[in-house]
Amino acid sequence: MTATSAAALPQTGQITAAPRRLGAPLWVAFLLIVLAFLVIYPLLMLLFGALSDSNPVIDGFGKFRPSLDHFVKVLFNENVHLAFFNALVACGGGTVLAVTIGLAFSWIVVRTNTPFKGFIAGASMIPLFVPPLVAGVAWGILGSPKTGLLNTVFKWIGIDWRVDFYSMAGLIIVFGIYYAPYVYMFTASALRNMDPSLEEASEVSGASAFTTIFTITFPLIAPAILAGSLLSFVVMLGIYGVPAALGAPANINVLTTYIFRLTAWSPPLYNTAAAVAILLMIVTAILVWAQQRILAGKSFATVAGKAFRPRALDLGPWRWFTFGLASLYLAIVVILPTLALVIAAFRKFLFIKDFDALFDMRQYSWVHFNAVFDNPLTMKSIWNTLEVGAITAICGGALAFAIGYTVNRTRVSGRTSIDLLATLPVAIPGLVVGVAYLWAWIGLPGGLYGTIWILALAFVARFMPDTVKALSTSFLQIHKELEEAAWICGRGLLGTIRTIVLPLARPGVVASMTLLFVLAIRELGSSLFLYTSDTTVMAVLLLDYYEGGNTGKTAAFSLVQTVILAVLLGLTNWLSRGAAQSSARVG
Amino acid sequence: MKRSVFIAAALGFAVAPAFAQSEFGSKELIEAAEKEGALTYYTANFAEVEQEVIKEFNKRFPKIKVAMVRAPGGQLITRIKTEAAAGKLAADVINHSDRGLMLELNDMFQDYTPPNAADYRPDALVSPKLWPGVTLGWAIAYNTQLVKNAPKTWKDLTKAEYKGKQIGHVIGPSGGTTWTRVMFERQVLGEDYWKQQAALGIALYPSGAPLSDALVRGEVSIAPLLYNIIYTKIVEGAPAEAIFAPEGVPIIPYADGIPKTSKNPNAAKLFMNWRLSKEGQAYQIAKLGNITSMKEPPAFPKGWDPKVIKVWVPEFGPFEKLREPWLDEWNKTYGYRQ
Repeated sequence: MTATSAAALPQTGQITAAPRRLGAPLWVAFLLIVLAFLVIYPLLMLLFGALSDSNPVIDGFGKFRPSLDHFVKVLFNENVHLAFFNALVACGGGTVLAVTIGLAFSWIVVRTNTPFKGFIAGASMIPLFVPPLVAGVAWGILGSPKTGLLNTVFKWIGIDWRVDFYSMAGLIIVFGIYYAPYVYMFTASALRNMDPSLEEASEVSGASAFTTIFTITFPLIAPAILAGSLLSFVVMLGIYGVPAALGAPANINVLTTYIFRLTAWSPPLYNTAAAVAILLMIVTAILVWAQQRILAGKSFATVAGKAFRPRALDLGPWRWFTFGLASLYLAIVVILPTLALVIAAFRKFLFIKDFDALFDMRQYSWVHFNAVFDNPLTMKSIWNTLEVGAITAICGGALAFAIGYTVNRTRVSGRTSIDLLATLPVAIPGLVVGVAYLWAWIGLPGGLYGTIWILALAFVARFMPDTVKALSTSFLQIHKELEEAAWICGRGLLGTIRTIVLPLARPGVVASMTLLFVLAIRELGSSLFLYTSDTTVMAVLLLDYYEGGNTGKTAAFSLVQTVILAVLLGLTNWLSRGAAQSSARVG
Repeated sequence: MKRSVFIAAALGFAVAPAFAQSEFGSKELIEAAEKEGALTYYTANFAEVEQEVIKEFNKRFPKIKVAMVRAPGGQLITRIKTEAAAGKLAADVINHSDRGLMLELNDMFQDYTPPNAADYRPDALVSPKLWPGVTLGWAIAYNTQLVKNAPKTWKDLTKAEYKGKQIGHVIGPSGGTTWTRVMFERQVLGEDYWKQQAALGIALYPSGAPLSDALVRGEVSIAPLLYNIIYTKIVEGAPAEAIFAPEGVPIIPYADGIPKTSKNPNAAKLFMNWRLSKEGQAYQIAKLGNITSMKEPPAFPKGWDPKVIKVWVPEFGPFEKLREPWLDEWNKTYGYRQ
């Protein structure tokens, strides 16, 4: 669409207001009620806990004993300061690494003619399926200073150098490589949807490919980079499994391991944990505010009403170099830890004296898989997990679409509050949010407690920020002129969403729902409080294997989980490709 | 005694076909329990272990289906309190390692006494309503491939030959079970014991399970561990062994009870009776590596000489009172940041 035709249109505000006037306040009220139930009510419970020394369900609201003790304890405890500092270093370093890897990867996959791109793209998402606890365990097996497989190999080939993943550097590397897919998801879809004419203009003006990347391409997808890095930073802040497995042996504590200790204390100190959680929320709120301030007033619309195909840069012989880089990353992030897990899952015991002992086939068997499938809880947990994952993906996807659309594509009053409320849960660590949901929802009439639905609701609420942010990137990139064209042609709001917005945003919607599905399947913290004997999920069973000191069974069960996820994600990837093709046709 | 013979002897109760059902309760109780046909079991113990207990119970009483909810100690207590306050406590039997926390909930439990109540040590009980269905004990474990001169006593763990992070420890404040060991070390092995040991350089772990795994992998060579954590690995052929030290074996009697709100009180009683019976305890000793709080144990773990080995049960009063100050000192001595 040209500038001339756009100028011929009436003012945007007049058009967008027209179809929404009738239902807008009702719609906003509806969303606010849903968010109040999912976010505010549990958060109030959390605040109640942090500001008192009573339990809202057990003691009742009537016995509210206000107290700032928990905050004071937390603020003046030097171990909390150290844990906070460690968390910032580990997550900050991890984010820098994740952004570097994720961005490079998405550029290689989307904008170059590197060979086997499809395969690289698929394989690079694998770290996302791996529960953090399993990632920590796998890298412990690989990188332990005393018995790590990498060190065993170095010793065998006569290299004196040794790696030590039980360290801050180990934490940063593992965080960085496992959360790079978050950045990749955001930036790849932004790069895919970007009009290449801007880059072409840059090159025609004499800029080199390198200059174009750093002055045109990356600045244009800044919202995606910022959203991806913010999300990965905040998600890292809330991860327990990696620092528990790698930080604990080196006595490196971060906030989550501190919170876990508080909740595992006898008696559990949830009120203090809630105070730490509130502090985490403040940090996150500052980050979100900073992100919005940076992006405010800038337009990042790069998907316009013009057909285009993302341009692949011809790298010539250098394409084998990028292929080599991608392969190296995949070897480090997929093959090595998977190999460690396979060895752990099939080996009876993980005592490996030297390199030759690794090939002693008498030590390998199916014993851990047999034990896992002998357990009647295994099949039950798999089925429950799939059910709760599907419900979460569908309900959460629909809600995130509704919120994302309202926040990004309309000017209704109240949309800022909706955005804020939908972002809040990201800051609350899973273990604490689990108890907040339990406090909030156990007393509800209608028998919600004890069903799969309460788990799904908790997951929808907990992962709403991730889903909404992932979708918002897609919305930001669709130019308003496309919707305006539909309204001029007489389409109503719902018709426009159905025929224009949904098809164009479909890759983003499918990606968000997939993300939600994966996150729901991995989620442990809130499951632990809401599952019952009939609604056990895989994450709870995995923790049980880990807590039981069964690395073999933990590895076997996580391989089972990975295979199930890989099959399901293969399916959604196939669906998403179909969606991308049909949206290309629409565009 | 060879392990197979030992297990067969310990399980003798289970295989005796004419063994009287009255050991587990009256005919009326068994009929009523079978009529209820199900119960829900809340446990802080490992799910895998408790699955085995349930399986064994079902060999004796196949008509009673046991559903299990498992969560780590602190989380389980929070859940029980919250469910109870909301009138939605689903548990028919609760099994927990922290006697102090369970005692706080004493009013929630109904009166219950097992048929063989007189067989139990009085110091293992904190309330007449709560019974030690599970009892665990501390042993010294070591990696047989790495340790040439294995420790034989608790005092050996202060020897200079084990310096340089060869010894692994679960951190003192990790929970009630570890606090029991820490208290034992200070009270029985002397005020300097911690200092002497910490000077060797100790690798610290957040809980027993990762430590037992680290021991088998060779990350550490020696570790005080709850016997049940390492026992199943030894049976499966791991390069590890465990001994009971002559200075004493600190034991942790659990506190198990039946909530007043139980919907299947007869099935719950029968399940408790069976777990506390000689048959139930013998099974847990032989197959799971547990100890027992019975005055006359129906079986002994491998290497346990009753003439030499004495169990050590913490006095409940000091157990609660000394916990905070002593753990603070432990943290400082071992350089653990709380």
